[in-house]
Amino acid sequence: MADEKSETEAKSEAQSAEPKAAAKPHAHENHSQENGHSDHPHDAGHAGHASVGEHVHDHGLAHTMPIPLLVGVLGALMALTLLTVSVTHYDLGSEGNLVIAMVIATVKAGLVVTFFMHLLWDKKFHLILFLTALLFVVLFLSMSSTDRSEYQPRIDEYSQTQAP
Amino acid sequence: MSETTSEPVGEPKGGQKHDGHPGHDHPEEHAGHGHGDAHAHGNSPHLAHHFDSYQQQFDAGKLGIWLFLLTEVLFFAGLFCAYTIYRAMHPEVFVYAHYFLNTTMGAINTCVLLISSLTAAWAVRNAQLGQKSLLMLNIVITIACACTFMVVKYFEYSHKFHDGLLPGPRFHPTEQVWEVESFKLKHPEAAEYAERLAKAAEEKKKKPAAAVAIVPGTEQPTFEKPTEEQLEPLVKAGLIGPLSEEPGGISRPKDAHVFFSCYFFMTGLHGIHVLAGIGVWIWLLVRASKGQFGPKYFGPIDYAALYWHLVDLIWIYLFPLLYLIH
Amino acid sequence: MASPSTTADAVAPRSSPGDDNYLTHDKGIASWAFTLDHKRIGVMYLISVLCAFALGGTFALILRTELLTPGHTIIDHDTYNQMFTLHGAIMVFLVIIPGIPAALGNIILPLQLGAKDVAFPRLNLASYYLWITGAVLMLTSLAINAVDTGWTFYTPYSTTTSTAVVPAAFGAFVLGFSSIFTGLNFIVTIHKLRPPGMTWFRMPLFVWALYSTALIQVLATPVIGITLLMMIVERTLHIGIFDPALGGDPVLFQHFFWFYSHPAVYIMVVPAFGVIGDIIPVFSRKKIFGYKFIAVSSLAIAFLGFLVWGHHMFVSGQSVLAGTIFSAITFLIAIPTAIKVFNWTATMYKGVIHLDTPMLYALAFLWVFTIGGLTGVFLAVMSVDVHLTDTYFVVAHFHYVMMGGAITALMGGLHYWWPKAFGRMYDEKMGRLGAILVFIGLNVTFFPQFILGSRGMPRRYYNYLPEFQHLHMLSTFGAYTLGAGFLLTAYFLAKSLKHGKIAPANPWGGTTLEWQCPSPPPYYNFTKTPVVTQGPYDGYENLVYDEKIGGYLPRPNKAEA
Repeated sequence: MADEKSETEAKSEAQSAEPKAAAKPHAHENHSQENGHSDHPHDAGHAGHASVGEHVHDHGLAHTMPIPLLVGVLGALMALTLLTVSVTHYDLGSEGNLVIAMVIATVKAGLVVTFFMHLLWDKKFHLILFLTALLFVVLFLSMSSTDRSEYQPRIDEYSQTQAP
Repeated sequence: MSETTSEPVGEPKGGQKHDGHPGHDHPEEHAGHGHGDAHAHGNSPHLAHHFDSYQQQFDAGKLGIWLFLLTEVLFFAGLFCAYTIYRAMHPEVFVYAHYFLNTTMGAINTCVLLISSLTAAWAVRNAQLGQKSLLMLNIVITIACACTFMVVKYFEYSHKFHDGLLPGPRFHPTEQVWEVESFKLKHPEAAEYAERLAKAAEEKKKKPAAAVAIVPGTEQPTFEKPTEEQLEPLVKAGLIGPLSEEPGGISRPKDAHVFFSCYFFMTGLHGIHVLAGIGVWIWLLVRASKGQFGPKYFGPIDYAALYWHLVDLIWIYLFPLLYLIH
Repeated sequence: MASPSTTADAVAPRSSPGDDNYLTHDKGIASWAFTLDHKRIGVMYLISVLCAFALGGTFALILRTELLTPGHTIIDHDTYNQMFTLHGAIMVFLVIIPGIPAALGNIILPLQLGAKDVAFPRLNLASYYLWITGAVLMLTSLAINAVDTGWTFYTPYSTTTSTAVVPAAFGAFVLGFSSIFTGLNFIVTIHKLRPPGMTWFRMPLFVWALYSTALIQVLATPVIGITLLMMIVERTLHIGIFDPALGGDPVLFQHFFWFYSHPAVYIMVVPAFGVIGDIIPVFSRKKIFGYKFIAVSSLAIAFLGFLVWGHHMFVSGQSVLAGTIFSAITFLIAIPTAIKVFNWTATMYKGVIHLDTPMLYALAFLWVFTIGGLTGVFLAVMSVDVHLTDTYFVVAHFHYVMMGGAITALMGGLHYWWPKAFGRMYDEKMGRLGAILVFIGLNVTFFPQFILGSRGMPRRYYNYLPEFQHLHMLSTFGAYTLGAGFLLTAYFLAKSLKHGKIAPANPWGGTTLEWQCPSPPPYYNFTKTPVVTQGPYDGYENLVYDEKIGGYLPRPNKAEA
C-alpha cells in the first residue's frame, strides 16, 4: 500500500517532535485546572518547533498533531470533568460554585480550541475571528441582561400590586 | 491583514493553465452540473477549478468553516442569553429543577463527547498522513461515541417525558423534588423535613380546619424549629419562603417549567447538531473508504472535526450550566 | 500610471452574440437550475429578487390606495394588516437584504476580483435554493392566512394571533441561512481569491462594502435564526420564554430581534454605499476622494451597527440606562456615514460629470439618503423619539433609508452593470426618465409622511383623521409615480435583452477589473488572470471613448505604438 510507506515516514518524523510535548500533557492528567494555564507557554514553544518541522514535512498544508499531545489533552479534559463534578459537593457561596464551574468549563473549552482545533498553530486571523464571535456574544449577553436587571424591579413592583 | 501571506502571489494564477482553452473547450465537463471540479485541473483530483493550488483550496475551506463556527457560536448565544437572564432573575427555579437531572448521565455524556473529540482530532492527523485504515477506525469510533451520546440522551429524555418534566403547560412532575434521589443524597435532612411538611399540609387538607385547632399539640411536637441544614436547601430551591419560621406551605417555585424549556431547547438543539455531525461523519467514512483523503486533500476531515469540536465545546458549557447547579 | 498590458488583450472587442459567454455556454433549464457559475446564480437571484420586489411593490400600491381616504377604501382592515406585514417582510427579507449582495454581488464580486468563481460555488447554489425555500414558505403563509404581526414578529402578539405566523417566521429563518451562506462565501472569496497585486487597499469600494456586509451577515444573522426559532417553539409548544403569562419576557424578544435587525439595516444599506462608491468616480471621470476612509468607514459602520439595537426599544419598557447608552452610540454612526457622503461629494467636485442613468441614481441616492440618515439622528434622541415612535415620521425615515438608499442604489447598480451582465445596452433616454420618475416619486411619497408623522399620524393605522387626508393623497400619488418609474424601467430593461445595442466591454469607462473582461463575461470570466498594478479608481486618463463601439478603450500607448 502506497500510503503505508508515507505513514511510517511521517510517523518517524512526527515522533522526533513528540517527546518534549509528551511528558507534559501526561503530567496534568492528575492535576487541577491551573495546569491548563501553565501549559500554554510550553506549547507555544512547541508550536514554533512544529512549524519548522512543517517545512521539512512534505505534506504541510497544515500542522499535524502529535498523538501524545492529543491523548494528554483528553486526559486533562477528563480530569477537569471529574473536578467540576466533585466540586459541586462543596458549598462555595452563592456565586462561588457557578464561577468555579464556568472557570473550569472555560479552561476545558480553551484546551479544546487550542489543541483539538489546533488554533495554536493556525492562522492568527482564525483566532481573531473566534475571539470576535466571543466578543459579540459577551456584548449581546451583557447588554440584554443589564437592561433586564434594570427593569426587573418594575416588573416585581407590578406583580406585587397584582398579588392578592 | 495576515491573510496576504497565504496568497499565491508568486504562483501562476490558475487561469494560465487554461490559456488558449477556456471553458468552452470542454463543454462536456460543464454539462448538467456545470462544474469542472475533478476535471479542470487534469491531474489534480479534488482540486476545484477555481483554485490554483491545494493550499489555496484548503485555506479557503478552513476560513469558511471558521466563519461557519462563528455563526454557530452566535446561534447558540441566543439560548445562552435567555438562560443567563432567567437564571439571574429566578435562581431558585434552576436550583429546584436541576435535581431532576441525572448528573451521572450528563457526566458520562461529557466523557463520551470528549473521547469522540479526541478521535476526531486524531482522524485529522490520520488523514494528513494518509493512514487510511486508522482514519476509518477513528471515524467509526467518533460515530460510535456520537451514537452513545444520543442513546443516553434518549434515555434522559424519555425519563423526563415519563415524569412529566416538560416545558410550558405540560409541566406536571409526578415526583416532588424532595423525593428525587439526588436531592435526598445531597440534603437528607432537608428531604426528610420537606416530606414531613408536605404530609402535614396534606393532613391539614383532609381534616377540617377546626379539627386541627381542637387538638393542639398532636402535630406540633414534630415541628421543632428547623435547623439551618433543613431549611437552607429548601429556601434555595424556592420550595418555602425565605423568612418562614413557621412551617408554612411547601410548593415548587413559580414558573419552574422555564428550566425545562431551557433544558430541552438547549440540549435539543445541541442534539440536532450531534445528529447532523453523525451524518457528516458517515459521509466522510464512505469517502475515506474510497481512499479519497491524503496529505494534499484532507480538508473535509479537518472541517468536520472542527465542527465536531465546537459541538463538544457547547456541551462543555451546557453540562455545568444545566446539571451542576449548586 | 501606465495601463497594464493585460487590459489591451482583454478589452479587445469579442462580444458579438455568437461568442461563447456564460449565458450561452450551456443550454437548457437544468444547466441553469444546477449551475455552479456565480454569474448564473447571480442572474437567478436577480430575477427572483425583482419578482419579489414587484410583489412587495404591488402590496405597497394597494396599501397606499387604501389610504387615499379615511376608513374603508378598497380593502378591509384585516387584509390591510396582513398586507403591510407582507409588504415589510417581503421587502426586507426577500428584496433588500439579498438584493445588492446576492444578486449584484454574485455577478460582479468575482469579476472585480479577477476570480473564476466565488470560493464555494455549491454553497452559493445552496444559498439560492434556501432563498427560494424561504420565499415559498412566506408565500405559504400568504396562502393559508397571511401573517399580520408586522415584519417584526413581536411577541406576545405573534404567539397568540390566529394567522399563519409559523410559515412566515420559518421562511425568515431559512432566508437567514441563505444570507449567512452568501456572506460566508464572500468573505472567503475576498480573502483567498484576490488576484496577484490586489492588496486590501486596491480593492474596489463595492468589494469593501460587501466584505463589511458579509461580516454583519455572519455575525448577526444567526441570532435572528435562534430568535425566530424560539418564537416558533413558543407559539407551538408554549415554552414560556417570551410569554409573560408563563413567566417569560416579551421585551427579551425585542432585544433578540433587534440584535440582528439593527445590524440588518446595515446589511441592507452598506452594499448600497459600495455601489455608489463605484459609480461616482466613474461618472465623474475622477479618482475617488478619500478612498481609505470610505473603505474603512464601512467596517466602522458594520461594527457600530452592532451596538445600537436598543434604539428601537426606547418606548418598549427598556431601562433608561440602556436607552441612554444606545442613544449615545447611535449618534456615533452618523460619523462614518457622513465621511462617506462628504467623500463622494468631494469626488464629484471639479470632476467631469456624465449624467448617465447610473449616475442619476447615485445623485438621487446622495439626496434621499442624506435626508434619511439625518432624520435618523433626530430619532436617536430619546426625548424626540418618545414623540415620534410609531408615527409616520419613522415610516418616512426608514423608507428614505431603505427605499431611497438601498433600492435606489440597487437600481443604480443594476443599470451600471446591466451591460456587463447581459451584454446589451438599454435605452439611455428611457433610463434617465425612469431614474427621474423614481426620484420624484420617492420624495413625493415619503416627504409628506415626515409631516404626517410629526403631526401625530400613527404608523400601521388603517383609519385616520380627515385632516391628514391631503398629505395621504399626495403620498399615494407619489407612490403611483414611483410605480410608473419602476414599470418603465422593467419595460425598457426587458426590451434591451432582445433589442438592445450590443454592449462593449467597457461602456462607462470603469477601471475596475470587471470592465476588463468581455460583456457578457465568458464562462471562466478571464482568459488570463489580470495582474493588478494600480488602485481601483486610477487611470481614467488612460481610457478614451470610441464612437464606433460605444465604449471606452485604452489610450494607445506611445510605447506600444
